[in-house]
Amino acid sequence: MSSLVILNVANGVVTGAFFVLMALGLSLILNLSGIINFAHGGFLALGGYIAFALSKYVGFLGALLLAPFLAAILGLAIEWTLIRRLYGRDPLYSLLLTFGLAFIFQDGTRYLWGAQGLPMAIPAFLAQPISDSLFFVTRYRLFNLAIVALIVALLFVLLRHTRFGIRIRAGTLDLETVAALGVNVRLLRSFNFGVGILLAGLGGVLAAGQFRLDPTMGDDYLMPSFIAIIVGGVGSLGGTVLGGLLIGIATGVTTVYLPSASEAVMYVMMAVVLLIRPRGLFGEEGMMS
Amino acid sequence: MSFLRVDSVAKTFGSLIALRDVSLAVEPGELRAIIGPNGAGKTTFFNLLSGFFVPSAGTIAFDGRDVTRLPAHRRVSLGMARTFQVTEVFPELTVRENVLIAVEVAAGHRLSPWLGRSVRATLRGRVDEVLALAGLGHKAGRPVGELAHGDQRAAEIAMALALRPRLLLLDEPTAGMGDQETYEITRLIRRLHQDAKLTIVLIEHDMRVVFHLADRITVLDQGRVLAEGTPTEIAANEAVQAAYLGKAA
Amino acid sequence: MSAVSLPWPKQLSHRPLWVAVIWLALLAAPYWMPLAGGYTALGTRVLVFGLAAMSLNFLLGFTGVLSFGHAAYFGLGAYGTGLVLKFLAPSTPLALVLGMLLGGVAGALLGALIVRRRGVYFAMVTIAFGQVFYYIAFRWHSVTGGDDGLRGFHRQPVDLGFATIDIVNNTIAFYYFVLGCFAVAVGVMAFLLRSPFGRTLLAIRENERRARYLGIPIEQHIWLAFVVSCLFMALAGGLDALLNNFADPHEIHYSRSGDLVIMAVMGGMRSFWGPLLGAAIFVVLEDYVSSLTQNWMSFIGLLFVVVVLLFPRGFLGFLQQERKV
Repeated sequence: MSSLVILNVANGVVTGAFFVLMALGLSLILNLSGIINFAHGGFLALGGYIAFALSKYVGFLGALLLAPFLAAILGLAIEWTLIRRLYGRDPLYSLLLTFGLAFIFQDGTRYLWGAQGLPMAIPAFLAQPISDSLFFVTRYRLFNLAIVALIVALLFVLLRHTRFGIRIRAGTLDLETVAALGVNVRLLRSFNFGVGILLAGLGGVLAAGQFRLDPTMGDDYLMPSFIAIIVGGVGSLGGTVLGGLLIGIATGVTTVYLPSASEAVMYVMMAVVLLIRPRGLFGEEGMMS
Repeated sequence: MSFLRVDSVAKTFGSLIALRDVSLAVEPGELRAIIGPNGAGKTTFFNLLSGFFVPSAGTIAFDGRDVTRLPAHRRVSLGMARTFQVTEVFPELTVRENVLIAVEVAAGHRLSPWLGRSVRATLRGRVDEVLALAGLGHKAGRPVGELAHGDQRAAEIAMALALRPRLLLLDEPTAGMGDQETYEITRLIRRLHQDAKLTIVLIEHDMRVVFHLADRITVLDQGRVLAEGTPTEIAANEAVQAAYLGKAA
Repeated sequence: MSAVSLPWPKQLSHRPLWVAVIWLALLAAPYWMPLAGGYTALGTRVLVFGLAAMSLNFLLGFTGVLSFGHAAYFGLGAYGTGLVLKFLAPSTPLALVLGMLLGGVAGALLGALIVRRRGVYFAMVTIAFGQVFYYIAFRWHSVTGGDDGLRGFHRQPVDLGFATIDIVNNTIAFYYFVLGCFAVAVGVMAFLLRSPFGRTLLAIRENERRARYLGIPIEQHIWLAFVVSCLFMALAGGLDALLNNFADPHEIHYSRSGDLVIMAVMGGMRSFWGPLLGAAIFVVLEDYVSSLTQNWMSFIGLLFVVVVLLFPRGFLGFLQQERKV
């Protein structure tokens, strides 16, 4: 029994790590540009498929390095041509635009790679269990966790110590003032958008290795990511990380005791947070309104 | 008992002290101007009066009733109406619709799905009355968003009037206006004060307006009351001159 | 950018001539639609989604609240109606009313949780809560039929006391039955929007801060608008279930919420009738394009992009703007 719980908590943490990657990207874009990027799941799937195509030539690890950047470049192209036009307008329009993009992405991947799921080969040494006693946990899961932890740590260092990062954080609080100080807000938003997509693309490659490729794979992460942001508190990236992990673990634990409710538990968490602490665990007062 | 009584009010935002120990008393029918240099805490003070913030300390009483923690919409129903520094209207609706909404809400019909003929006639009469008082009768059919700045401000004041306020709070009514518009709005405020006998508290930067209108003036500086008195007393007050008028000149 | 600062066009709904034309077109639809290559069920579908888009627009266009999870209430109406017919009683009106109530009660409960949120955050919370019902429909196989949808119920003849309307086999009779429900629902919404309560909603849309300082308790009014919107959305869902004798879990998925929003925006969300036009275009295109190509989703995605970039005020807004210039 207890090993079953450990298994599912461990699974929950790994699932949560995917939520964290996806939600962090969404959160970055939302905080600075006020845009909910519905196409984020599409970018995640795209990252996975690009890696799938590349892995034939450069192997899984090479694809893991390259695919997120290719996804980010595509993201930047879309930001430059389409999304940029909608900054400062009623958020309704950016919501609809990214919604439409999500449809196009999903259909596009289906057209190019088929509706059937595709398996993504991972290196043999990662497919091994960790040990004989922990036979149910593959090394790949640990590898996932390590990569996510590394990337999240890097992101926070970037935000705290680089010029761009400090400007992104300042812009989240008060974009007008940042613009008045002479910062190129357009560039800042593009860079920020690119980083967000990079995280989604990375999530896609990692998820493809653990599960498999599927045109709708990003969908599975979109709602949990929204909820991670709301639970953690809008405007707080640390909150988003915590929210993602909490939701992952709660989902994992519920799978043990009440499998049919494993998808519902995160919605219950969101309802409870909205009731007790409407701004989320780490949200700033006023950020949600 | 004063009409509006503020006792030792303070407001802090984190470590920033916006207001400390501010007290004042406004009598019925009085027009009180609140002046002070930028950052003196005037707008914060106004936001405490209208219920936008709750004070960190102190009490606010209106007509003998403690309103310190009362939410904004409840203060409105007690008769405290306000306008904003940046004109706040319903831009896509006509002047008449703007005022009508205020009239209906003030008459307690905000949830009514239907009104009888006689009620509608009464409300329409009230709208016309308010439009005439604000001098907007001939522009009633135009969307407010299309009007000149001064007329938009007049429309905003008209909406406040439609609430049948007993106390009118005006946050920089002539902000951003040219001389002609300033003159029009000043005349409107004077009419409300002298003819309609409204009690008015206003924040204002334009000293011509302040000295022309005010019965008494309260000077805020660095979050506290620096001086209070009639326009003549304030003009002669050395501390005010040093801290404020001197700086402005 | 400049398009945004232009004033919105005057509402078409204020012109009696236009309203008469719309009603005439709807009343005569079963007779002119076949000539234009349509069929009666397609007309019924236009009405169903027209009602849905207009209900959503009660919030979106007239209260200024960005609800993105409205497919959930459509779905609740559909499943509620279907379940009543299947398990409770073979009565079409009872099923519709209970389906409506199910959507309304769910909207009232969730609405109370979310009325303090605004803008994109309101959208996020509504869409996330909406997905709850998708998962319930998807997972609770024994009751809802899971992925296969709810089957095994049929709409029943409507007994008026003095006469019975056969809406079961006579698709034209069913069209008029739906048109009757549509007329009542749309009538109530139009009535509410012209009332003092309706004007407070416009006030909230136009300037929330001003509205608050007029003494309007914003949250209470948004909540009421939300509940009204959910009730009629659920009615639309119920009618959809009757139309197909089937309740489809995919109609609850959040992507369907996006479809409903684009219908409202595409038609013109500042106009009372705009969403009906948007729904008509969407439903007819869906019918036509999905028969031509597998890539309906790309097409619809492209439609979203085109509407946002070229027709942000919807077709009605666009037409009027052109006329002015």
